[in-house]
Parts: sequence; C-alpha cells; structure tokens
Amino acid sequence: MGWCINMKVKQKRNRTDRGIPLIFFILLIFCILGTVVFSVAKRISSEMSSSAIHNLRESLGLIKGTLEAILINEAEFQKMIAQEITMVEDPEEFIRSYKRNRTVVKISMIMSGETVGVSNTGGEFSEEALDFSAGKTVEGLPISQSYLNSLGTWAYTMKCPVVKDGEEIAVLYMEYIYDSFDDALPGSFYNGKAMLYVMDAKSERLVLKPKGMGQRNAGHLNLQDFYRANNILEPDIQAKVSESVESGKNIMFYHDIQEEGALIYMWSVSGGEIYLIGYVPIEAIQQEGRAVNQNILIVVVVMLVAFFLCCLLYYFNQRQQSKVRREREAERELHSKQLAEALQAAQIASKSKTTFLSNMSHDIRTPMNAILGFTTLLAKDADNPVKVREYTRKITASGQHLLSLINDVLDVSKIESGKVVLTIGEFTLNSLMSSVDAIIRPMANARSQNFDVSVTGIKHEYLVGDETRINQILINLLSNAVKYTPKGGNIWFRIIGLEQRSSQYEHIRIEVEDDGYGMTPEYLKTIFEAFTRAENSTTNKVQGTGLGMAITKNIVELMGGTIDVFSEIDKGSLFCVELELRIPDGQADKEFWKNNGIFRILAVDDDIEICKNIQTLMRDTGVLVDTALGGEEAVRLIKDMGNGGQDYNMILLDWKMPDMDGIETAKQIQGLAQSEIPILFLTAYDGDNVEEEAFQVGSVGVLAKPFFVSAFKEKILEANAGKTKGDTQGGPEAGSLKGLHLLVAEDNEINAEILWELLDLEGATCEIMENGKLAVERFEKAKNGEFDAILMDVQMPVMNGYEASRAIRALTRRDAGEIPIIAMTANAFAEDVKEALDAGMNVHISKPIDMGLLKKALNQWIPRRPGSSR
Amino acid sequence: MKSNTNKLLAFCLSGIAAFSMASCAGKPDGIENLIVEEPDEGKVVNLFGPMEKSKPGVDNLSRTAFDRTISIAEDSLGLTVEYRTYTAENYQEKTYDEVILDRVRNDMDDLYLLNPDTIQILGEEGELLDLYTLDNAKNLREIIKTANTVDGKLVAIPQEIVVHGLFINKDMFDQYGLLLPETPEDLLECCRVLKENGIETPIGANRWWLENFVFAIAYADLYNGGHTQEEIEALNKGERKYSDYMRPGFEYLQELIDKGYVDAETAYTYEAIEGEGPDFLAQKTPIVMAYWSAANTETAYGNPGFNMQVIGFPSSRGQMPVVSMTGYGINANAHHLEDTKAVLDIILSDEALQIYAETNQVISPSKNVEVECAPALRPLNDKVQDNVYVLGSNAGMKVEQWGNTCLIVRDLLNGATIDECMAKFDRLQEESLKP
Repeated sequence: MGWCINMKVKQKRNRTDRGIPLIFFILLIFCILGTVVFSVAKRISSEMSSSAIHNLRESLGLIKGTLEAILINEAEFQKMIAQEITMVEDPEEFIRSYKRNRTVVKISMIMSGETVGVSNTGGEFSEEALDFSAGKTVEGLPISQSYLNSLGTWAYTMKCPVVKDGEEIAVLYMEYIYDSFDDALPGSFYNGKAMLYVMDAKSERLVLKPKGMGQRNAGHLNLQDFYRANNILEPDIQAKVSESVESGKNIMFYHDIQEEGALIYMWSVSGGEIYLIGYVPIEAIQQEGRAVNQNILIVVVVMLVAFFLCCLLYYFNQRQQSKVRREREAERELHSKQLAEALQAAQIASKSKTTFLSNMSHDIRTPMNAILGFTTLLAKDADNPVKVREYTRKITASGQHLLSLINDVLDVSKIESGKVVLTIGEFTLNSLMSSVDAIIRPMANARSQNFDVSVTGIKHEYLVGDETRINQILINLLSNAVKYTPKGGNIWFRIIGLEQRSSQYEHIRIEVEDDGYGMTPEYLKTIFEAFTRAENSTTNKVQGTGLGMAITKNIVELMGGTIDVFSEIDKGSLFCVELELRIPDGQADKEFWKNNGIFRILAVDDDIEICKNIQTLMRDTGVLVDTALGGEEAVRLIKDMGNGGQDYNMILLDWKMPDMDGIETAKQIQGLAQSEIPILFLTAYDGDNVEEEAFQVGSVGVLAKPFFVSAFKEKILEANAGKTKGDTQGGPEAGSLKGLHLLVAEDNEINAEILWELLDLEGATCEIMENGKLAVERFEKAKNGEFDAILMDVQMPVMNGYEASRAIRALTRRDAGEIPIIAMTANAFAEDVKEALDAGMNVHISKPIDMGLLKKALNQWIPRRPGSSR
Repeated sequence: MKSNTNKLLAFCLSGIAAFSMASCAGKPDGIENLIVEEPDEGKVVNLFGPMEKSKPGVDNLSRTAFDRTISIAEDSLGLTVEYRTYTAENYQEKTYDEVILDRVRNDMDDLYLLNPDTIQILGEEGELLDLYTLDNAKNLREIIKTANTVDGKLVAIPQEIVVHGLFINKDMFDQYGLLLPETPEDLLECCRVLKENGIETPIGANRWWLENFVFAIAYADLYNGGHTQEEIEALNKGERKYSDYMRPGFEYLQELIDKGYVDAETAYTYEAIEGEGPDFLAQKTPIVMAYWSAANTETAYGNPGFNMQVIGFPSSRGQMPVVSMTGYGINANAHHLEDTKAVLDIILSDEALQIYAETNQVISPSKNVEVECAPALRPLNDKVQDNVYVLGSNAGMKVEQWGNTCLIVRDLLNGATIDECMAKFDRLQEESLKP
C-alpha cells in the first residue's frame, strides 16, 4: 500500500516536473511571439509614420509647387499685360476698362515720373498703401506684403515695369487675392483632420484659413494667435520657427494640439514670401500604420484565442480520456476482483462440494451399508422372527435416514435454483406447535433432554403462511438442538409475540435455545452456507447433510424474515427467527363460545405469564378470564364467590404447581362446587398417566401447553361431543384396507412388487400396469366398481401419470370422474403436488411409500360401500 | 451512438472548413482596378462672420450652439456652409464692420452676421435681401422687426436678442457696502467709493461698448415714455435733434472719464472683452460692460469665480438694458441665393432656435421659444421681460445709431469735446434729412 502511494506521489511529481518546464517553454514561446509581434508592429508603425511624413512632405511640396506656379503664372500674366499696354494707344483707358476677375481684382498703373496713377476701380492710385520693403519677387516682379483690400479679403500686389522701346514708361500694379488659391488647395487635407493656413511671412498674418465650420479651433489671426490657440508656448520652438521663417526654410515639429499629438509644419512658398502652416494629428498620419497594427493585433488575438481553444479542447479531451482510462482501470480492477472472488467462491464451492460428496459418500454409504448388511443378515436369519423384526426395524431406520438425506439435497437444489414456491394458507400456531412437539419431544425424550415449550405475547394464533415450510424451519432448528445437545441437556422452544408493525401482521419471534455443545465463532460465519457442518470430536458422530441451516435461512428469507444465531462453545446456542405473518380476516368467533355456554372461565397457573397469555388470547372471544396464581388462590377465589364457582363455565388448571398441584386443586374445587365444573388440565407433560389421573378427578380433558384458543375450542367440542380418549387417537391410519381392489400404474418392477406385498399385508389386492397407457386401457375395460382406487406413478414410459390421469378423467364412464386417483411418485415437491392435482388426481403421496399415509388417503377418498368390512 | 455523433461533428467541421476555404477563393474582378472619381458637385453656402479668439482646450459655447444649428441645416439640405471670418489684429486695422461693408458690396459671400450699424447701412443700400420671405419670419418677436426693418424690408434676423448690460462683481460691491446702481448718480457714487478704496479704474471699457451708457441715458424716456414712434418720427423729420438726446449721455461719459472711473486711453485701444476682461476676471475691475451671452460663455465671463450680477445701464428710469440688434443678412446678389435662404430659414426655425437658446441660455428671437436664463442674468432678464429697455440700434431711425455713436464715443475717448461730438450727430442728422 505504502509502495503504491509512493509510486503515485512519484508519478505525480514526475508529471509536475514535466509540466513546469512545459509551461516555461510555452511562456518563452509566447514571449518570443509577443516580442516579434511588438517589433513588427513598431516597425510597421515607424515605417508607416515615416512614409506618412514623407507623404506629407510630398503633399506640401505639391501644394507649394502649385501655389508657386500660380504666382509665376500671375507674374507672367502681368508681364504680358504690361507688354500689351505698350501696344495700346491709351494705356490709362486700358487700365480703367479692365474688369476684375476671380484672381485679379484690381489693376493700376502709375506713369513714370508720377506718384499717382489710375486704377480700374476708379479714383487715384498711389503706391504708398503698398509695402514692397520685404524685397521678395516672383519671376523678377516685386511682390507686396499682404493686406486687406477693398473687397475685405487678403490680397497682394505685384508690380511690373511697362517698358516700351527699352524705356520704362510706367509701372503696372496688379492686385491678386489669396482666395484664388482656394481651388489649388486640397479640399480635405488628411480627411479633414489636418489644418492648412496660408501665412504672409513678413506680417505673419494668416491670409487664407480653413473654411469648414468645424475648423475654427486653431488661432486664425496670425502666427502668434496660432501659437496661443494651439498652446505652442515654448520660446525655443517659437524662436526656431521665427528663424526658419525669416530664412525661408521649411520646418516641422511635433506638439500637442487640443491635447492630441500633432505634427506641425511651416512650409515655405516662393522663397519664403508666404508660408503654408498648419498641423496634422499624429493619429491621422499613423492611420494606416495603426490600421495595419490593429489588423495584426486582431490576427494575433484570433490566433491566441484559437490556440487557447485548442489547448482547452486538448485539456478536456485528455481529461475525458484520463477519466475513461480510470473508469476502465476501475472496471478492470472490479472485474479482476469479481473474478478472483468468483474463483475463490468456485474453489470454495468446489471444495465444499468435494467435502460434501465425501460426506455424502460417507453418509449414504453408512445407511446403505446398514441396509445391505441387515438384508444379508435377514436372509441368513429368515427363520428367526425376533431377529427378522430387529433387522427390519434397523433397515427401516437406515432407509428413513437415507430418505432425509435425499430430501435435504433436493431441497437445497430447489432453493438454489429459485424454484421454491411458498404455499400460503391459513394455519394455527396450535397445530404448528403440536406437530413440532409431536416430532421433537420423542427425540428429546429419547436423549433424556428437557424440552420446554412456551408461547408468550401472541395476540393472534390464526395466521396465514406456509405452515409446512415454517414447520420445516422449526424441525430443522429443533432437531439440530436435539442432535447437538448432549443427553440430559435442555432445549427451549419459545414463540414470542412482538410489537406489531402493522395491525394486519402478527410479528413473532421464534427462539430455539439449547445448552449443548455450541459452535466456534469461525463456524458461526459459515453456518448458513450449504454443505457445511460442524465437525469436532463430539459431533462427528452426528449424521447430517450440512444443508439444514442453509435451507432454513433460505426459507426464512423467502418469507421476508430474519434468522440470527448466537453460540458459545460448551455453553449452547440460540437461534432467533423473526417473521411477520398475516392475520386472517374475521377470526374472532364469539358465537362459538356463546353456543357452547362459555362466558367466564378461571385460569389457574403458577406462571403469571401463562395466565396473561391466556387472557390475551381470549381477549377477542368475549369470554371473561379470571386468573389465579396457584391452587390455593383458585380454591379461595371459588370459596369467595359463594356459589361454589358456578359462575365459571370452565376451569383451566395447571397440572403441576408448587404449592398445590392440579389434581389436588381439582379435587378441592370439585368439593366446593355445588355442581360439577368442567376442568381442563394444562400440562406440558405427555403420556397416558396424566390423562388417566385427570379423568379420575372428573376432568373433561387435558390441554397441552402452551395454551391455544383453537386447541381449547377442540377440547370443548370434544367434551361436548362426549368423545373418548380412544376416539381421539383413532384415525384413518388405524383403518384397514381389507377388501379393496386397486389399479396400480408402476413401471418399476421392484416398487410394484413392494407395493403389491404391502397392500397384500393390509388385505388389499391390486392389478399392476407397466405404464399409464395400459392403466387407462385397463380401467376403460374394467367393470363398474371393479377398482376402488387407482395408484398412479408419475414417471412412466409410453404415457406418464399426469397424462394417464387426464385420460381416465376424460373417459365417458360414469365412475371415470369419481374414482380416486392417488399419485405415488418420487416427484415430491410442492409444484409436483400441484401438477398432480391439476391433472385430476385426488391426492399426492411421495415415495418411498409410507403405508400410514397411504391408508389415511385411501380411507379418506374411497367412499364407504354398504357391506364393506371397513 | 457516440461514434455516430463524432462522425457527424467531424463531417460538419469538414463542411465548415471547406466552405470557409472556398469563400476565401475567387477570381479577381477585372474592373476592380478601375476607380472612377465622381465630380464633386457639392453645394456650398459661404458664410462670413466674426470670430472670438479661441482658447486652448476651451469650447466656445456660443459658437457651439451656432455650429449645431448650422449642422442641422447642412444635414437637411445636403450642402456645406463654408465659414469665412475676419478679426482685426488691432485698432489700426480695418474693423469687422468695415470689412463686412466691403465684402457685401463686392458680393464676396452669401450670408453675413451683421452688427447693427452695418445692418442699417447695407439695408439702406439695398444690398440685403428682404427676409420677410422666409417661412420662419412669422415667428419673430416684434422687437426684432422694429429694430431690423429698413424701408419696409426685414434685412437681418438674429439667433438671439443681444442685450447689453453692466457686469458687476457683486462680491466687491458687497465688500465695500455698495448697492447695485440704478441711476447715473448711483454709479458715480459707487465708482467714488471703489476708487477711494484703491480700485484705480472702477469701470473696464473697450472701444466698442461704451456707447451703451449713452443710449441708456439718451433713450430711456424715448423707448419707455409711451411716445416712441412720435419721437422717432420727429427725429427722422429733423424736428428734434439727436444731439439733444445724446448730450447728457456724453456728458456723463465725460464725467466718468474725467473722474478716472473710465480709462479713456486704454478703452480706445481695447478690443471687446479681450482688453478689459482679464482685469475683471482678476477682480481688479469690478464693473465691465458686455452682451448677454458673455455671461454664459467660458471664453468670456461664463465662469468668473465670483458672484457676478448683470444689470441694466443706469438711467433716469433706473437700470436700463440696451438691446443692440445683430443679425444674419443675406447678400441680395448672393451666388447661392436659394440655398442661403434655405439655410437661414432652418437656423431660424423654432427647432434650431430652441437648441440655440437652451445651449446659450439667451432670449430667443422666436416668440415660440422660451428658456430659463442663468442666475447672473436674472436682473437684466427681468427688465427685458417687463419691456423695459432701450434699443441701441434701430433701423427705423434714419441716423444709424450703433456704429455712429460708437465712432463718436471713440472721438470722445480720443479727446474730442462734447460739443464736437454733438456737432457730428447734428451733421449726421442733416445728411439723413437730405433727399
């Protein structure tokens, strides 16, 4: 066991030892995977960001190029106009007549040598309002600082000399508005997330702004306002930006705008004359990178989820398999155990059966030896009647023993094959006790044993159950008690009424106790197993099959009862059987007592329990039961009554009492009584002496203890009918078969011969047929009344007993349905009896033939005929 | 049984796998590489309006409310409102009103947010569309129609009735045991006490809104005396002189300046709120003047950090709110005229005005829209609800009030005498009387 535990611990540790590195390995893989994914994501993000910045540069470069192209075009256009002016006759009229368009909103000209010129908007024009001090040029044309023009929009002016014939005759001023750049700028820069302004570099005014309603969070006045609105307050950044703007360089820097990271740009156009400024949120720049990373993340998450799902499935699968494996192992272990047990049981059974066969061999050979031996002796001493009778008696005893052996073996076989059927019927405890007592008491007397019978606490003596089987139980227990108790020992047989669990059932305990050899604890464990028998120096002389207790236990359990045994070596044994037997309906018969004039009785016994028992059993009869615990008390009671005890219709008087015995008490009572009071003696003693003495004192009879109402009733009936002792003892068994002529169906010649001889001894004749068919044919041909009865074997060739009986009953003869058919067969079980009766037979008698039973059956079933000797 | 289930499961899984793999396959569509860009024909309405300077991380509530109504219009009409703006960098630059005049006269935009003076000027010039044609014009309160009708045309409609008042630091007044001023004399006394207590300039002013003092004193009786139309008629006919109405107000302003209660020099250069606001919020200046929404807007005085009360300007009739009517006007020659009218109709609908008024807690121009005002504005609101106010702009007067008075007050701040200022009013009146 310890080794097993160690193995399991070791296995578990091994599994743990294997598991931890596995977990670390998986974690390592995940770390590497995570690092790779993170690196890839970061790299993608970085590359995408670089790419986005590059794209932004390109976009800004493109815008810048476009704006510069516009400026160049405007300059070229202005040069062309200047050229055209040289060709017109009236340049000033040309200027005045020029209509503004989306780009050029104002055109003016100052002739050389003058400070004031003309303009297409009317009125005078001078250069004073324009600031060309920055010195910036486009295609060589000076460009002014931005200003708010008369249209209320930001504008700039380029001036171009009008040269005619190599001489500058005037200066042409053309005003352009920044709004014309609108069409060249992207409508939605970075999906509208980026801001784009055009700033005049010199004044740092924002001259073109985003136009959307939602694009007004950034400052819109000038660069300082842009800084303020976007919280770009770091002096070094501002200084660097200013420096770059002054030198016309492009600059980009990261800064938070509205609490979100952004890339701010300042992009020089036309040599720094104007600047594209604004910002792009980092989110917008890294949009693609983030989308890629998000997709990578989704893929990784999906893969991880799939991986974990697989792990989970694998885990559950393994667990399931492990569970199945364990279950199979457990099942295998169970099977192995069952097989081992079965093997052991088989071995034990085999051993038991071997032992049994050995015992049987011994037990069967012993009586067989006696039978054969005595038959040899019988043949030898045939002329000596005394020896013949002696040998015959011993042969009979050995045969009886052999028969009981066979019956037990067959019973066990029946029980083990589950073919035992209880035959439920109504019975009285009285008849049960009587039959048991009749069997056991002679056995006990033969061994000089004291056999004590008592019944206490029984409320109902009429019960429903299988009387035969209960009888079998009691005989088994009591015969064992007799067998295993030495001579002069004591045997107690008690039937005790226990508290009823249901009003419909009588709960009884049967106790069989002896002070015999007792049993060892080891034997007690196997006492109820078949083919076991207590073997010791004391008991090995006792003959038995070793099946009795097994049969008993099986029958008790079949009845739903329990059996227990307590025993000590040399102190004795106690068997307790508890049964619940149904109480039949309407057993109380008050009318009986009324009709027989029994209203009040006196019970006299020195044992108070017996008195109480009588009162209990008589409770439902309506008879008043007085009790007296002794002869003197009984006499005093009758004296006190005054009328000589005439109120008592019957006195139950214990035979043996310590102070005054039954005879003496009866005599005194009879002396006091004015008229004879019927006295019924209660006695546990058997024998003719008791009855004779009883009759001498005027008793109406003797009632065997224990007291039962049914027995009491029988005695009353007997007393009333004036039956004599001789009548009660006579019965069918005593009847003669003389003059009867029987038809016998028996295939076995020896059995047939024995039967013929036995019947002949009884004065009866018979005609033997070898099978059922012949018997049927013979009966069919017989004269009416030729045969008094048919004795029918069951197992016969050609036609068995059942078929033959049916055939006879089916005959059209008048007596075919009346003639008694008695089954005489070795098929001795209850179902065999039933089948026989079903086949139309009248009664079943098992082989070997008990002539007493046969005579009883024939006397019962054969109708008396006038003139018959019987 | 179990075996059959497993087989069924395996079969189903195989089917799903095959289906999934098959769904990933497919021939590339030949025309997938062709990307056809539809021409952008999106409709646009150009809006020109002023803009307060934004603060980093702070939402401009007023603008948010306006943006929401614009968004409703954009969604309803499927067009884009493009917003153009101008704000003068300093006092030397062109004012917003000057730029507006240029832009409207040159048909630069479709829709304009106009101040009272430009409403009158442009209305008289016929540059603005008659807005009576809008469906929602029928919901307008009379005061709107009165103030913004020029030559029988409703030329501008605001999203809120702009009421100007004095913003008082009540904590400081309580500190010095001062009651809220009712009359000009009360205010002088308050200023005296404040100044004596070390408040160098009790009234913070800018170059735009000092004329409210003048309007309150000048027109308290005109608008609340029961003969408004007759008196305006007399002014328009030259039977009465504007200068007679204006003089007491100018004299009062002069007294405030002379006594150092208003710093004329800074007031002349300060932009609205931007100039005087920081000192007011820093509780250095206990009195400023501003419009209603400034009390609701965090970019102005929406969250002052002290107990602020907004009252009317002092007058002989007690505290007097000054209503200056701004409004949205449509360029009569707008390039996108119909779309612009549709936009304006939507942003002036009761639904849009309800959103606007609830967001900004202002008095709505629609008589169908009423909302609760901020606690600080209750004194001012009570007066307006009692119909006690003066109009700072009235298109029914032939001399434009809001802009001209503002300019003449600037002259005063710049050192002009009262007589010189009154002479300007007389001259303006004479010009208005010319046919």
